[in-house]
Amino acid sequence: MRIALTGNPNSGKTTMYNALTGRNERIGNWAGVTVEKKESPIKKNFYGGAEELIAVDLPGAYSMSPFTSEESITSGYVKNEHPDAIINIVDATNLSRSLFFTTQLLELGIPMVVALNKSDINEKKGTKIDTEKLSSLLGCPVVATVSTSASGNGLTEVVRTAASLLGQHQQAPYHQGNISLNSKAEVEAADRKRFEFVNGIVAKVETRKVLTREKNTQDKIDDILTNKWLGIPIFAVVMFLVFDISQSTLGPAIADILVGWIEGFQGTVAGMVENSSPLLQALLVDGIIGGVGAVVGFLPLVMVMYFLISLLEDCGYMARVSVVLDPIFKKVGLSGKSVIPFVITTGCAIPGIMACRTIRNDRERKATAMLAPFMPCGAKLPVIALFAGVFFSNASWVGTLMYFAGILLIFLGALLVNKIAGYKNRKSFFIIELPEYKIPSLKRAFLSMCSRGWAYIVKAGTIILLCNTAVQIMQSFNWSFQLVEEGQESTSILASIASPFALLLIPLGFGAWQLAAAAVTGFIAKENVVGTLAVVYGITNFIDVDELVLVHGADQVAAVFGISTVAALAYLMFNLFTPPCFAAIGAMNSEIKDKKWLLGGICLQLGTGYTVAFLVYQIGTLLTTGSVGTGFVPGLIAVAAMVGIVIYLIKKTDASLAAEYALGAAAK
Amino acid sequence: MMDFILIAVILLIVAAAAGYVIKAKKSGAKCIGCPVEGGCCSHHQSHTGSCCHGCGGADSSRLKDK
Repeated sequence: MRIALTGNPNSGKTTMYNALTGRNERIGNWAGVTVEKKESPIKKNFYGGAEELIAVDLPGAYSMSPFTSEESITSGYVKNEHPDAIINIVDATNLSRSLFFTTQLLELGIPMVVALNKSDINEKKGTKIDTEKLSSLLGCPVVATVSTSASGNGLTEVVRTAASLLGQHQQAPYHQGNISLNSKAEVEAADRKRFEFVNGIVAKVETRKVLTREKNTQDKIDDILTNKWLGIPIFAVVMFLVFDISQSTLGPAIADILVGWIEGFQGTVAGMVENSSPLLQALLVDGIIGGVGAVVGFLPLVMVMYFLISLLEDCGYMARVSVVLDPIFKKVGLSGKSVIPFVITTGCAIPGIMACRTIRNDRERKATAMLAPFMPCGAKLPVIALFAGVFFSNASWVGTLMYFAGILLIFLGALLVNKIAGYKNRKSFFIIELPEYKIPSLKRAFLSMCSRGWAYIVKAGTIILLCNTAVQIMQSFNWSFQLVEEGQESTSILASIASPFALLLIPLGFGAWQLAAAAVTGFIAKENVVGTLAVVYGITNFIDVDELVLVHGADQVAAVFGISTVAALAYLMFNLFTPPCFAAIGAMNSEIKDKKWLLGGICLQLGTGYTVAFLVYQIGTLLTTGSVGTGFVPGLIAVAAMVGIVIYLIKKTDASLAAEYALGAAAK
Repeated sequence: MMDFILIAVILLIVAAAAGYVIKAKKSGAKCIGCPVEGGCCSHHQSHTGSCCHGCGGADSSRLKDK
């Protein structure tokens, strides 16, 4: 028996789905977190029956008429796949809006239970809903639930009720009748009638102590956090604190302990195999344990950051960030709706890019999917932490700067996309339902952190391990499959593959084949940059307060890398702003669904990464030494060629738009 | 003897990692280890012929405005 979980965005569907199935799907205190259909069996303790009940979690929708592709998943599923029952999760704090969709679902004839969720918030506010009366007016069972409650308040009852409805036909309390969906006036009139019906029900069943039109504490906090002038500085301070805690204080403190364990293990293994072949020793101790260990050493920093971001999401702040950034993004043809994918990308670019499907406007959606990878994801965090720690005494500002540089590049990239794609100015509206502020759940943040941390470990133990092994082998042998002797490393397979790329990178300040090899392996997974650097430079410990020191200057590591601080910053930005990993490019392909746009996006990312690194290195070198860096002229030619291509594309678009309007004028 | 043991250990580690990656890729995961990899299906067609999203392959660009 399949039970579909449906409801408005941010009504708590995925929270309930996780509680019922034991899954740990991504949740967030804002609308539009779920963009995919998910299925999983419901735990037996909720109903005790022999038959298997499958819960189907669907993206939130406000009505059966879809506006975005993720809303169409919901309407398409309940209309075409005919689930055996529906649990309609209704936000009890916003009954009148939620019941619009409920009455539409009831018309489908599928047996339905209404889960009156967030009932605990209503209790606190003194809002009372007569569930029995609501049940009789809707013609279906109504159960008060709290899906965030540890004891699963009302969940057993709601599942059992849904299971008991199998095979029954649902009667609808309201019928829309036949209307022409092509007639805007007819649709609007039908919607108004339905709202009148819904409001009639709400008036009969709901008693409010606090009216929504009254200004409460939440509104006062919003006045500050979403203030036109204060909003962005507050956001900058919040992000700085996140980086300070995760990368300068708590994160490295925990990392130091972990690295001690990894070092101990590495030392023990090295002692055990000291009588074996040096190649095999290097492969196991330096390549596998050292390479993976170097990446895993950053795990505490990543986990602390995930924990803090999760707290910010859960308390409702991140939804406000969309409002704060909306006016800025509107200026470049995006909107606050694009901010949600950008925020999700700070965890991982793939769900971030997938979240673009909540954007209704086609051009805006494609542009957002193309630009989202500029926000540094969790996989890039070890790269930021490594370079911030090794080359800059204060790690926190580097991380914050990278995020704001990402936002700036999104802004500039959107401008460029508008110019190239021929954006016509039009009014764009951004409407977001701001969730209520709440004390974030430490348990949920902890679980989210553990789940992402586990993913990081799995990635390190699989993809990173395989890449490091391959890098170690390619570094140890030449093309004649003979061992490379000490001092002859540049004859290795790895060096010969990476050297042509290194040539291109000379104008950016990092023309060493080792750095080029690390940047290339970064396209498989960005953590690979750290792993590969560890293997090729033979440094298996980037975090050690006694020796190399991450936080307060790390001269030994910096000396091994052999690049200036300015070049290090350029290398960091090159790795952050060139195209993301292949998996994220695959996600871009899925969401953009247009080869021309996809290719354009990848070229934009490559060009941006190269240009930013060139400017940072050359301008930085000029400022610090008084003369430009190595390879200035070839680099300038390359950048000028890219600018030339962009200008050509803009002119071509302008010409085609001019021709289009001219034809239009002729037709008139 | 030690070399043979070491080769066996390295092969075992690499084979286990490669096996995990192949298995995960076969089950449709885009990103190895990702906690939401099950939900990260691309816009491919499922075995039932419909889109894995359950949307019948709906493209928002084809959606009608009210």
